[in-house]
Amino acid sequence: MFSPMNHIAYMSRAVRPLSDQELQELLAQCRRDNARNNVTGILFYSHGNIAQLIEGDPAVTRPLFEKIAQDGRHSNVVKLADKPIEARSFPDWSMAFHPIDPEGFSALTDFFLPHQMPATPDTLSIADALLVDLVRQAVFGANTTAAESASVGN
Amino acid sequence: MRDQELQRILRHMPAGIATLLGPELRYGFVNEAMQALLGGNTPEGQPLTDVSLPADLREVMQKVYDSGSPFVAKAYGLPLLGSNGEEPTPRYFDIALEPLQDDEDQVHGLLLFAVDVTGQEEARQRAHELALETRRLDARLRVLTETAPQITFTVDAAGNYEYVSPQWYYFTGQPPTADLDAIWPLLVHPEDRLRVLYQMEAARKAGIGWSHEYRLRRHDGQYRWLLSRAVPELHAPDQAAYWHGAVTEVHDQRELADALRRGEAELRFLADSIPQLIWTATAEGFIDYYNQHTAEYTGSSADELGPTGWVSLIHPSEQSSAARRWVQCVASGESFDGLFQMRRHDGQYRWHIIRARQLTDARGLRWFGACTDVDDQHRLREVLQHQYDELARTNRDLDTFVYTASHDLKQPLFNLRGLFDELRRTATFDDEEHEVLLRMVDGALGQLDVTLHDLAATVQEQRQLTAPTEAIDLRSVAEEVLLGLRVLVEDAEATVNLDFKAAPTLIYGRANLRSVLHNLLSNALKYACPERPPCITIASGMTEAGKPWLKVQDNGLGMEVNKDANPIFQLFDRQHPHIGGTGVGLYLIQRIVTSRGGHLEVASTVGEGTTFTVYWFG
Repeated sequence: MFSPMNHIAYMSRAVRPLSDQELQELLAQCRRDNARNNVTGILFYSHGNIAQLIEGDPAVTRPLFEKIAQDGRHSNVVKLADKPIEARSFPDWSMAFHPIDPEGFSALTDFFLPHQMPATPDTLSIADALLVDLVRQAVFGANTTAAESASVGN
Repeated sequence: MRDQELQRILRHMPAGIATLLGPELRYGFVNEAMQALLGGNTPEGQPLTDVSLPADLREVMQKVYDSGSPFVAKAYGLPLLGSNGEEPTPRYFDIALEPLQDDEDQVHGLLLFAVDVTGQEEARQRAHELALETRRLDARLRVLTETAPQITFTVDAAGNYEYVSPQWYYFTGQPPTADLDAIWPLLVHPEDRLRVLYQMEAARKAGIGWSHEYRLRRHDGQYRWLLSRAVPELHAPDQAAYWHGAVTEVHDQRELADALRRGEAELRFLADSIPQLIWTATAEGFIDYYNQHTAEYTGSSADELGPTGWVSLIHPSEQSSAARRWVQCVASGESFDGLFQMRRHDGQYRWHIIRARQLTDARGLRWFGACTDVDDQHRLREVLQHQYDELARTNRDLDTFVYTASHDLKQPLFNLRGLFDELRRTATFDDEEHEVLLRMVDGALGQLDVTLHDLAATVQEQRQLTAPTEAIDLRSVAEEVLLGLRVLVEDAEATVNLDFKAAPTLIYGRANLRSVLHNLLSNALKYACPERPPCITIASGMTEAGKPWLKVQDNGLGMEVNKDANPIFQLFDRQHPHIGGTGVGLYLIQRIVTSRGGHLEVASTVGEGTTFTVYWFG
């Protein structure tokens, strides 16, 4: 059955650097929203830079983005994309962090260190893939190239 | 009974009560509070000791006793010994000294009455300190408000000015006696007056602050932009009594902002007017502005294109490489530069040069890019290249044709020559004129042979133009060529001088060099003056710039040289029609020399001789 889908991408700055604890909470919160709303996507965080792409039913993603934009933990929210898509490109919710203590995070599932990130999926149009690549570069810096093979938890 | 009750009450009263009797002021009745005050030891009948009360108080007591008039010592400080040997703390007492009189109005003692006023005294002292501090703060506030580069003011709920700092008078040049409420509105620029008055009134009615800009007339008559901001002072919730505010001059900032806005609007107009795709991007590489023409060309609005949509306009085969290149450029800061096909709104792909450069200034880092349509130029170049290839091929075909034709014609010519010789040998001609005819046919056949040979040679040379070069000894080549022309030289009794001392060797194609020498020498011999034996000089040398040259000078017929055009170098163009030749020679030299980057010059005087100079390179 076909249902309309869109994706929304944004970048923002954390109001203050997030601790590993807060990152874990953020991860848990994203997963909860995901399970409830059937939203998927990817979240990047590094040194206060936040970027997220969410995909799902526009009736869910639009209000979700409004809620995210109001979140007091970040500011300078810049929406980069909001457009219909044919299929999901991030069917497993995933996120990439620069945690303060990488040891503690290696056990988490659906989580990548920036240098372990998989290549941008080729289900994205080239324009959207370019967007994700530029976002990734803006968050993690120029020297983080996507690894060819991902070391995903499951 | 009553007396006892009274005594008990007096004994336990919180105020100190004591009677001191006789001129020695001996202890009479001392209640508990007074006992504590006097140090605890007050045996009845004992006089006051030095330690129990300070000397000044005892002196006053003595005087009250002597004079019989009462006295009250207000807030008199007494160090009260703490229990358990603690440090004495100062306590304050109002001490009333009342003379006690007997029935005959004779003073026989003092009534001592002490009320602890320590609390009041301390409060009074605190109040005094506070008053001092308040005065100090007040003075500081006044200095601040009167020296800050701002006009400060206070307005009441009715809109009347309660206070305005002296800066207002400096700014407006008004006398201190000016009626603020009447004059201030008059000094506001007429175009701003109504708006300002309305905004202030509206804010006062709503009990909120305001912040607005308007022009106020300065003492020199110039209107300056000011920013007026005020906040309400609330006396009860939602009930503002006063507004306190400051007026800051923002004229220069405003002028600057106006100029910036104007500049930006003009730049945007400029960008929108250019028939090119112009865009800007953020430091992260997201496009945040496309000019008007982009929408016209692509048929997509800036929103539809989005921050990375430009890549989808590029021909699909080039999209990923363009995207990769852009990501790299954003990372490294290198300029983006490339030739891409971009889709027009009607689906046609047109060639564009895409260029983007980074600009870093006070406002951060941004990218500026332009896509220039070079499709027409690109197509024209393709057409020209195609035509060039076609022409080159035709040229090659022609050469081949000429070579084949001249080669193929040689055999029939050979046959013709054989048949003609046979005819001459066997047939007899009686007429004298027939002999002339025969000679003419013979000459024509000879000329045809030479022409065919030269044509073949031309094509041959053409093919050798790309032959490799080597260092050649000029003298040996010249002697070789002269050997080939030996018959001609001997027939003409010509003298040939060789002078290669200045530049004995030349780096050139050997066959080309031989061909050039052969043609120049045979020309010099051919166009010799019949009245004198030919004298030919061949010399070599170097120009000042170090480029080699070769000169062939004769004393032959000479010719007209047209400076403007060089018709003598055209194929089949002949200077002396009465002399045998094919007209190929000079053309051939010209082609050889120019194809290797050199040129040929000629100087000649009719009847005296000709000099050809070959500048091999340049």
